[in-house]
Amino acid sequence: MSDKPAIGVPPGGHHHPVYRAWTMVVDGLAALATAFIAVLMAVICADIVVRNGFGGSLPLVSELGAMMVVLIVALQLPSAIRAGRLAQVEMVIGALEISRPRLAGLLNALFCLAGSIILGIVAWASFGILSGDWASGDFIGIPGLGTLPTWPFRTLITLGMSVAAAEFLFKALRHLHASFFSGKGPS
Amino acid sequence: QEQIDLTVASSHPTVVPWVGMIQTHFMARTDELLAETGTYQINWNEAFGGQLYKANATLSSVEDGITDIGWVFSFLEPAQLPLSQVSTNTPFAVTDVPALLEVIDELLVSNEAFKAEWEDHNVKVLGLTATDLYDIYTKEPLEGIADIAGMKLSAPGVLGSWLRGTGANAVDGALTTFYTDVQTGVSDGALSLALGVLPIKLYEVAPYINRFDAAAAFSGAIAINMDTWETLPEEVQAAMIEAGKYYTESHGQQMVELHEVALNTMVEQGANQNPKVTIVNMPAEERQKWVDMLPNLAAEWATPLEAQGVPAVEFVKQYMAALRAKGVEPSRAWDEEL
Amino acid sequence: MSPIDIGWISIGALIVLIVVGMPIGVSMLVTSFVSVMFIRSDMVAIRMLGQVANDSLEEYLYAVVPLFVLMGLLVTVSGVGRDTFDVFQRLLHRFTAGLGQATVFANAVFAAITGISIASATVFSRVAVPEMIRHGYTRKFATGVVAGSSVLGMLIPPSLLFIVYAVQAEESVGRMFLAGIGPGFLLAIMFCATIYALAKTQPKFVFDTEQTVVEQEFVSAWTVLRMATPIVALIALVLGGLYGGFFNPTEAGAAGAAGALVIALLRRSLNRRAFWRLLVETGQITVSVLFLILAASFFSRMLALSGMPNSLAVFLLDGPIGPWGFLLAYIALVIILGFLIDSISIMLIMLPIALPVASAAGFDLIWFGVITVIAIEIGLLTPPFGLSVYTIKAALDDPDLKVGEIFRGAFPFVIAMLITIAIIVAFPLIATWLPRL
Ligand code: NA
Ligand code: NA
Repeated sequence: MSDKPAIGVPPGGHHHPVYRAWTMVVDGLAALATAFIAVLMAVICADIVVRNGFGGSLPLVSELGAMMVVLIVALQLPSAIRAGRLAQVEMVIGALEISRPRLAGLLNALFCLAGSIILGIVAWASFGILSGDWASGDFIGIPGLGTLPTWPFRTLITLGMSVAAAEFLFKALRHLHASFFSGKGPS
Repeated sequence: QEQIDLTVASSHPTVVPWVGMIQTHFMARTDELLAETGTYQINWNEAFGGQLYKANATLSSVEDGITDIGWVFSFLEPAQLPLSQVSTNTPFAVTDVPALLEVIDELLVSNEAFKAEWEDHNVKVLGLTATDLYDIYTKEPLEGIADIAGMKLSAPGVLGSWLRGTGANAVDGALTTFYTDVQTGVSDGALSLALGVLPIKLYEVAPYINRFDAAAAFSGAIAINMDTWETLPEEVQAAMIEAGKYYTESHGQQMVELHEVALNTMVEQGANQNPKVTIVNMPAEERQKWVDMLPNLAAEWATPLEAQGVPAVEFVKQYMAALRAKGVEPSRAWDEEL
Repeated sequence: MSPIDIGWISIGALIVLIVVGMPIGVSMLVTSFVSVMFIRSDMVAIRMLGQVANDSLEEYLYAVVPLFVLMGLLVTVSGVGRDTFDVFQRLLHRFTAGLGQATVFANAVFAAITGISIASATVFSRVAVPEMIRHGYTRKFATGVVAGSSVLGMLIPPSLLFIVYAVQAEESVGRMFLAGIGPGFLLAIMFCATIYALAKTQPKFVFDTEQTVVEQEFVSAWTVLRMATPIVALIALVLGGLYGGFFNPTEAGAAGAAGALVIALLRRSLNRRAFWRLLVETGQITVSVLFLILAASFFSRMLALSGMPNSLAVFLLDGPIGPWGFLLAYIALVIILGFLIDSISIMLIMLPIALPVASAAGFDLIWFGVITVIAIEIGLLTPPFGLSVYTIKAALDDPDLKVGEIFRGAFPFVIAMLITIAIIVAFPLIATWLPRL
C-alpha cells in the first residue's frame, strides 16, 4: 500500500508551517475545482431552461463546459495524487511492500519522481501554450455572440499541473524518508 | 531512390470529401509526379480521422510539427486566423465555390496580412478547401424565410450568426449532435451543408430540404509544417505545390458536383420514408430577404479587428472586389457598409 | 530502429511499468513521451504532451462525467439508491442471486439515460455494491457485476460509441441507436444467465455467507410505492426530458444531478457541509477517471504516429483470409487493443482500416457496428487498462479493495460478452431487425 496516512505526513509532522501552507495550496485548488463542478451543473441547467423557456441557446455554454472539464482535472490532480487515488495495479508492489519494504519504498519513490518529471513537462508545455494564447489573444466562443479569453483557463491549468508535479516530488521524498531514514518500514 | 517519411493527418475522417481528397488527389498526385523521375519516394504515415489530434487543434498540430501535413480547419481558429473568417462574416456573397477558392488563392499572394497570418504559424499553405452550399433542413416545409421565425435551428458555432435577425434561434451543435437534436425536438431543423448532412442521414428526421443555396465559405487549407518544408528537396517541393494546386481545383469542382449528387442521393434514399424527402426550392427573393434581415455582420466583425491592428476592412474590400472581378454578384455589398 | 519498432517496444514497456505498480496514467504518459522523442524529437514530444493535457479532454461530452458522478453520489446519500435496491430485492428475492440480477436490470434501465459506461459504473458501485455486500455477496462478485453490467450503458441508447461509429461508417445515429436495443437486452439476459450459473455452480465466487435469504418483514404496498417514487421520478425526469426534446444526452447529466439534488433536499438528507463533501468526492472520482482517459489518448496518439497499428491491421486484415477470417481477426484485434487503450481511441484507429474491408466483404455496417461496440466494450473490463474497473475502484475508494479482485469478478461477464458476440454474428437480425424496419 502506498497510500497509508503515514506517507502523507512529513518528518516535521502535521504542524510544520511549510506543510500547512502547502496543504492549503493543494486543498485550495481542489476547492476551486469543486466549485467549478457546481458551476458546470448550474450553467448547463440554465441553458436548458433558457432554451425551452425563451427559445435560444445561451452563448458559450458548450465551449465553457468543455474547458471546465480540463480545468477540473488539472486543479483536482494534486489532491488526487496526495490522496493516492490515481489508478494503479498493486499486485507486485503490494507483495513487495510486505516482503521487501525498502525496495518497495524505493520503487514508489521512483514512480512518484517519474510522475513529477512528466507533470513538470506538462506544466512547462502548458506555460508555452499560455504565453502563445496570451500573445495572440486567443479566445473561445463566437465573435458577435459571446467570447472569453483562454489565458485565465491556461493559467489555472499550468498552475494545477505545476502543483501536481511538486506534490509528486514531495511524495517521492516522503517515500524515501519513510523507507530509509525513519528506521522503520513505510507503514 | 531516396525515401522520405512524412506524416499526414486530419481531425476529420476520410469520408469527409475534402479529407478523402487529400489521399485521392493531393497524395496521389504528389506520388505520381515524383514517380516521373523516380529520384524520391514518399512513405506516407496516414493518421486521418482524429487519431493524432482533434478538431480543436488542427492549426497548432501542423504548427508544432506533431504532423508534417494536415488539414487546418480555419472555421475553428477565429483568434489565430482572423482574416480567414472573412467569408463566414460576409455571408451570401458567393455561391461559386471554384471562384471563391481562386479569390482566396490570389489573396494569399497579394494580401500581406492574410499571407502572414498563416506563415506566422510556421505553416505553408499547399491547397485550399471550401464548404458546399448551406440550406435549411426542417421537419416541416417552409414557404419562405419568414417561417423560420421562432424556430430552433441547429447550427455549428460561427454559423449561428447567419440566423441573427431572422427570428430563428440558433441551437449550438455539431454534425455529431444534429440527428438526435432534431429527432428528440431539441431543435426543429438545422442550417447545414448537403455534404455534411448526407453521411449523418439527417434527412430521416428533417426531410424537407429548403434549398436557399445560401452561400459557400472558405473553410481551411492543407498545410505543411514550415520546418519540414525546408528540409524537403526542391523536386519534392515543386511536386507538392503542383499537387496542391490540383487538389484545390479538383476540390472546387467536386464541391459543385458533389453538392448536387448529395441532394439527389438524399431524395433517392428518402423516397420511401414518411414523409418522403422533398427539396423545397426557394425563390431568389426569399434568399435576398434572408440576407437583408442580417445585421451588419461584416462591420461587427471587422471593427474590433481593426482596433487590434488587423487590416480587416481593407481585406473585405479586396475580397469583395476580387469576387466581382470573377463575375460573382454578391447578394449584399458588405464592403459598402464598412 | 523504425517508428513501428518503437511502437511495439512502447507497448512492452508500458505493460512492464503498469504491472510493477507505477500509476497507470503516469506509465502511459512516460512511455508515450519517450517514444515520441525517439519517433520525432524532444520538442515535438513536449508540445504533444502539452496539447494532450490542454485539448484532449476539452470536449463538451466529457462534461457529463462529473455530473453523472454527482448524480450517483446524491442518489446514494439521499437513500434513494438503497430504497431502489430494497424494491428490487423484494421483487426478485425468490430468484437465485436476486440482487445481482437486480443490478443488471437497474443498469439496463439506467443505460437509457446515460451515454457513457463510466456513469453507470460510478452510480452502481455506490448504490449496488454496499447493498450486495450487506446481503452476503462477495466483494469480488458485487464489483464484478457492477463492472460487467456497466457496459450496457453504451449498448442501450443513447450511446457515445454508436455516435462515433455512425459518423465514421456513414450510418445514421438514430438507426445505430435502434440497433443497440436488441443486443442490449440479449446481453442483459446473458448476464443474468451468467449470474445464475455462477450462483449454482460456484457459490463461493458469489456468496460470502450461507444464509442469503433476507428476512422478509411485512411491508405494505404503500411503503414499496413510497420507496420507488424518487427513483421513478428521477428516471421520468431524465427520460422525459431526453425524449420530450427538452435536452440532449449531454445535458441529461446536469438535469439528472439537479433532480437528484432536489430529491436529497426534500428528504432532508443534505446540509451545506454534506453537499460540499459530495462535490469534493465527485471531483476526486472524476479526476482519477479522466486522467486515465487523458493519458490513454496520448498513448494512442503516439501509436498512430508510430504507424504500428496501421501496419498490424494491414498485415492481419489484408491477407487472403476471407470475410469470416477478417471478422475474426478484427474482433481479436479490437479486444487486444482494448487491453491497453480507451474505447474511442480504438475506434479512431481501427475503423478507417476496417470499414472499407467490411464493406467490400458485403457486411451490413449496422450489424458490424454492433459487433464493434461490444468487442470494444470488452476492453472496459480487461486488465491492465480497464476503465470500468478503475471507475469502481475510484468510486468505492476502499484501500483494501484491489483492482485485481474487480478484474477477476468481471471476468465471467467478459465470457458472456464473447458468447453474445458469437450469437449476434450467427443471428444478425438481433441487431438489424429494428433499424431496418
Ligand atoms: Na445508454
Ligand atoms: Na482493457
